[in-house]
Amino acid sequence: MRKIYAFITMVSLAVLTSCDAWLDVKPYDKMAQDELLSSEAGYMKLLNGIYIELNRDMLYGGAMSVEMIEIMGGAYVIGTDNSVWGNYADLAEYEYGTDYWRARLNETWNKAYSLILNCNLLLENLETTDVRFTGDNYKIIKGEALALRAMLHFDMLRLFGPVYSRNPEMLSIPYYKKYSVVPNERLAASEVAAEITRDLHEARILLANDPVRTSGTMTSAPSDGSSAFMYYRNLRLNYYAVTALLARSALYFGDNDAAYKYSTEVIDAAQEVFPFVDRNLVSGSPEDPDRIFSSEVIFALTHSQRNTVFKGYFDPSRIPNYVFRMDNDLMSNVIYGGGAVTGGSQDDYRYRVNWVATGANRYFYKYSDMVDSGSITNTMIPMIRLGEMYLIAAESRSADLEAGVSYVNRLREARGVSKLPTLTRKTLQYEYIRELYGEGQLFFMYKRMFSPVIVSSSDSRNPQPSDAIFVVPLPSSETDN
Amino acid sequence: MRSFCSVIFLFLSSFFAAFAQDGTVVLKGKVMDSVDGYSLIGVGVTVEGRSGGTITDVDGYYELKIPKQQCDVVFSYLGYDDKVIRYTLKNESSFSKVIMHMNATQLDDVVVTGVYERKKESFTGASATFKSDQLKSVGTTNVLQSLSTLDPSFKMMESSQFGSNPNVMPEIEIRGKTSVVGLKEEYGTDPNQPLFILDGFETSIETIMNLNMNRVASVTILKDAASTAIYGSKASNGVVVIETKAPARGRLQLSYKGDFGLSLADLSDYNLMNAREKLEFETLAGVYKDNSGDPFAQLRLDDLRNQRLLEIERGVDTYWLSEPVRAGFTHKHNIYAEGGEDKIRYGVGLSVGNTNGVMKGSDRQTLEGNVDLIYRTGKFQFSNKLSINWLDVSNPTVSFAEYAYANPYYRKYNADGGIDKYLYYPADGVDDYPVSNPLWNAHLNNWDKASGFGFTNNFIFEWFVTKELRLRAKFGLTKQDDDEQARLSPQHTQFDDMGETEKGLYTHTQIKELIYEGDLAVTFGKLIAEKHMLNAVGGFNFSNSRRQIYGYSATGFTDDQFDAPSFANGYPVGDSPDYSESLKRAASFYINGGYAYDERYLLDFNYRLDGASMFGTGNRFRNTWSVGTGWNIHKEPFMKDSGFFSLLKLRGSVGNPGNQNFAAYQAFSTYKFNGWMTNVFGTGVILNALGNTELSWQETTNYDIGLDLTFWGERVNATFDYYWKHTDPLLAIITTPGSMGVTSVAMNAGSQKTRGWEATLRISPIYRPAEGIMWNISINATSSKSEYADIGNSFSALNESGKTSLVGTTRYYDGGSPTAIWAVRSAGIDPATGKELFIKKDGTYSFTYDVNDEVVVGDTQPKVEGLLGTSLYFKGLSVGCYLRYRVGGQVFNSSLFQKVENIGTQEVYNNQDKRALYDRWSENNREAYFKGISLVQRTEKSSRFVMDDNSLVGESFNIGYEFPDRIVRRMRMGALNIQLNMTDMFRATSVRVERGIDYPFARTVTMSLGITF
Repeated sequence: MRKIYAFITMVSLAVLTSCDAWLDVKPYDKMAQDELLSSEAGYMKLLNGIYIELNRDMLYGGAMSVEMIEIMGGAYVIGTDNSVWGNYADLAEYEYGTDYWRARLNETWNKAYSLILNCNLLLENLETTDVRFTGDNYKIIKGEALALRAMLHFDMLRLFGPVYSRNPEMLSIPYYKKYSVVPNERLAASEVAAEITRDLHEARILLANDPVRTSGTMTSAPSDGSSAFMYYRNLRLNYYAVTALLARSALYFGDNDAAYKYSTEVIDAAQEVFPFVDRNLVSGSPEDPDRIFSSEVIFALTHSQRNTVFKGYFDPSRIPNYVFRMDNDLMSNVIYGGGAVTGGSQDDYRYRVNWVATGANRYFYKYSDMVDSGSITNTMIPMIRLGEMYLIAAESRSADLEAGVSYVNRLREARGVSKLPTLTRKTLQYEYIRELYGEGQLFFMYKRMFSPVIVSSSDSRNPQPSDAIFVVPLPSSETDN
Repeated sequence: MRSFCSVIFLFLSSFFAAFAQDGTVVLKGKVMDSVDGYSLIGVGVTVEGRSGGTITDVDGYYELKIPKQQCDVVFSYLGYDDKVIRYTLKNESSFSKVIMHMNATQLDDVVVTGVYERKKESFTGASATFKSDQLKSVGTTNVLQSLSTLDPSFKMMESSQFGSNPNVMPEIEIRGKTSVVGLKEEYGTDPNQPLFILDGFETSIETIMNLNMNRVASVTILKDAASTAIYGSKASNGVVVIETKAPARGRLQLSYKGDFGLSLADLSDYNLMNAREKLEFETLAGVYKDNSGDPFAQLRLDDLRNQRLLEIERGVDTYWLSEPVRAGFTHKHNIYAEGGEDKIRYGVGLSVGNTNGVMKGSDRQTLEGNVDLIYRTGKFQFSNKLSINWLDVSNPTVSFAEYAYANPYYRKYNADGGIDKYLYYPADGVDDYPVSNPLWNAHLNNWDKASGFGFTNNFIFEWFVTKELRLRAKFGLTKQDDDEQARLSPQHTQFDDMGETEKGLYTHTQIKELIYEGDLAVTFGKLIAEKHMLNAVGGFNFSNSRRQIYGYSATGFTDDQFDAPSFANGYPVGDSPDYSESLKRAASFYINGGYAYDERYLLDFNYRLDGASMFGTGNRFRNTWSVGTGWNIHKEPFMKDSGFFSLLKLRGSVGNPGNQNFAAYQAFSTYKFNGWMTNVFGTGVILNALGNTELSWQETTNYDIGLDLTFWGERVNATFDYYWKHTDPLLAIITTPGSMGVTSVAMNAGSQKTRGWEATLRISPIYRPAEGIMWNISINATSSKSEYADIGNSFSALNESGKTSLVGTTRYYDGGSPTAIWAVRSAGIDPATGKELFIKKDGTYSFTYDVNDEVVVGDTQPKVEGLLGTSLYFKGLSVGCYLRYRVGGQVFNSSLFQKVENIGTQEVYNNQDKRALYDRWSENNREAYFKGISLVQRTEKSSRFVMDDNSLVGESFNIGYEFPDRIVRRMRMGALNIQLNMTDMFRATSVRVERGIDYPFARTVTMSLGITF
């Protein structure tokens, strides 16, 4: 009898101890987090996955770069034929409440926050992981993930938040710093601003040893076939990209000193790392122009089907379907015409390589491919470029813009056009349009400055600033719960 | 010759015993079973109060030397009542032939929980046990169907969508839902499904549905915490324990059971228009009136109407509903051969079933072979049950609804007797939809079929260590492979607008399942000092279940006839092969204890520790407990004397069983490749599903108070239970703010409280069991009410989508019932204007509909429902009748809502309910219940469509005859019985709603035959 009890006790004990391990089942048809993030390569794949997802239509592969956000920024002429332009007419009137645009905005919002969740999962696992990383990889991965999180929040704040300069304390968006099954509260815009700045600062410190500072952007794969993880730094949120984001956000949050500090830091380093585009590729009528001025791009996404972006929105062969292009009068009289008053000139490299005439109109060719089909340039969707740093430096220089004119003129020099004698808000805005057209920044500029949206050459036709046009209503899933 | 020898032997042995030495005496003899006279091996023979003793040998003989003094000799054997014979110094002969009786505690009086058995009298849980013949007497379709007729708390939900489709598994509930919102939609597992235990092993509802009823010995339904808690975190929905028959000892015996059924579709719920009515309705609705102002268009419409009118005048009035249905024949056979002696018993069975559903092309064939072996030696018993099953099903490829939609003014066949693809095809340049002919798609070479093959082997080893202590080890293995294939012909109308390479579709899905389960348990039972009955069970259980699903589709078929997948042109564009896998593991420790004092005061407790792989690492183990008490009042001295009550038991229990019907990887965050793009850095991965490690698993605190009564010499039997269930926390899929990074998440939100009672009463006005004459009347009733609590705004998104949806009437608010119907109250149609008049929340009237005026206007849960039954036994003849009643519930009549009003420009081309034409408001019919005919007017959900749903259904009628022995013997048989069953023969309801949308309901008549040789 006693033997039986002893046997039972023994079996129970053995079973108990082995139980927990036995119950630890890992899925085979899906990648479990523990398995994926059990190696350095797993973290790299997850980080890369987030970069890839930024190319989605509802983010920077469409809506947030060339489509929705640029229409809101008044970049394109919207036709009157409803069967061609459909919902775009509503958006040009800033009617965010239609079913279509509510759904579209909701998509953008959800995707941005789902990538923030991915960043947070990566960061949280990174905190507790016992994986050994080679070299500075731990810091680089963490820095980039933090910067991605900040960048996505920043763009959601710029889109859905208040006009910051007028209403910084208004309730805006939630800032997610860790994975949570309980919804985070929405914060005042200034609080979100502080969080963004904090994350970017931390990212910048972590990226202090970014090879971009010593070896440049390295826009080719290592010849020995080893991992490209530390190459193509301009396709990652590198040290300078984070610095540039700090400059961009500081300006948006009204901190001119910081904006100046960070933008000039990038400008100073740019000679080595992000040199102005080779004139042979852009001046005169080059056979194969580098239309995005790729050497100047501080951070770009790499989208393997970027030509669909061009074909889907800008290609004149789309007619009679809609084609995005600038208003003719605005282009010929203001942006690339009008002489010293507007700073517009047809000698501008940006005009010569990006705008091609077909019939009576000129069409936007920034996103059409270069001849060399394998070139990385053909995949790039610029997110931050050097030109914006010059403009930020100019804008942030002082309350009166004139002191900043030299930065604008250094940029204009590189674009093959004459210097401006003085700088006004208008001429600065024109310069922004020339430099950043089709890159999703114009709407945010008008919102920042709380100024009319330049759609046409005639002021009376340009939408006047108001919260109604600048403050996009939050998705209903956010306000209902 | 042998018996002669043993007589001599017995004589001699008693002779010697008598002349044994002084001081001691040797008792000798043989121990036999009281029924079949088989010798019993291993029976313990001891002298009361003394140690030592002996056991009987392989032929049942024993020899026991005892001191020559008066004493009690005890014969004990498992499964038999102890036999005590007093030795009086001169009665040696009475020891020569000892007859032992099997335990009186037969199935009737025992509760089988699958883990342990307990005498019903000393069990404190709420349970119900039904024997094979009871189940068979109310129906022969399947075990579950019969259970729902016998026990009010066991509910088989009627599916208005799938009707009597034999290939769709029913939804089952015991004592209502423990809730969980949105989980079935998300995971495909029914979170309210009870746990099924077959011969001590967990099994699936499909297995139970396929099980031939003739193999079943008994079914026990465990309802409350005290009875289910032994199953821990799987038990909150109740447990159904099914035991199959064990082979009986004896000469080889062969039995045959056959069921032969006929089913007919019940189309009485359809109230469709005839050709003339439909055309009139269309005319009134303005189908033939042109609004564009184009005179040619009006001419064309006039012409179209005239053509249709002409057809009607020619006598065309097609009844489409008769097309897809047929008389469905069902036949099931079961042959079982059994036999053996005390040491080895065996049974070999074969079951064949062929069910033809009432829709053409709807078949279910099953084949099941089983081998049962029991081997017993000394203190050990080995038993093994092996069953092998094969399944073949096919489904119709055109749903019943398509026939119900077809207009009666079209002909089925063209002039040549052929089938046209379209009933109506618009002329060139006419902006109109073509109407396809349901017969066209049905006559093509389309199919939807599945087959399965599997086996289950359950092995049980028992060691009867002592009379009180038993050790049992179980191991069960189930392997099941299913294969589903469907094919749509390239000529199917679905592919009309597609390119040649995209026509036709073949899909293939393979499901592989492997389950094993092991269990080790120690059982102890002892009566101490004649008053203290102690029972205890403790054990360990583990299970592992792995399910893999493979699938792919192919397209680009060019021919209707040649349908092999190899004729496909390729895979659908952008399609990739499917593969999914789920692996679930569980390990548990459990203990059950029971104590009864003098059979009067009862106490039970259960504890179980469950660990399951589905639970997050943080919450891997979960505790379940329960306590039950009971008081056998009829055993009290003051009651015993009157003898009026043979049973009067009061019992109560409380416990917290849990629910584990969830997806395998719920707790994990999983990732996937973002396969749409790679870049210079290589591949990337992103989050696929967010796991919630903090999720608490749903548990239901369960209280039950019950009373069991039997009196007037067994003539009146009654059971009453009141229960209270509190599921807290609920687990639900909740829509979340997009900023959380996911749009929905499985979360704990709020709780649900359910209160209910159930009662069964059986009276036998005539009760003469000895003569085989009995008349029973039974009434059972159940009622329950649930409400949500503490859910706050968690479900606001569901409420919002419910408000905006066309027919959604379920809302989630604190204090609201899960089955409540929410709608705006309606005062009816204003006779003057024909507009609907609504009653606002504050009681004022308004013509404007405001969704915020929604209130509870009804509840689909009836106030009381149950069955009324009567059965009569006269010698071999039995007659039974069971009626199901529902009182006090409401229903949102979606037929009226969608097929009378709310007929839009699309729906008008479908055939509609007759009421869409009659009883509509017009200048001449101002008192109408329904609005005027209009294609553009939208009707909102209002109380006008909520109707009382009271019903009486003739669920089961049966008549049977058991042939008397003398006739059977003359026919050289052991037994012969014959029975006729009729199910769902009539249905009287207070509301007329279309039921059986995709598949009609059926009425069935079955003849059953049982022969034993």
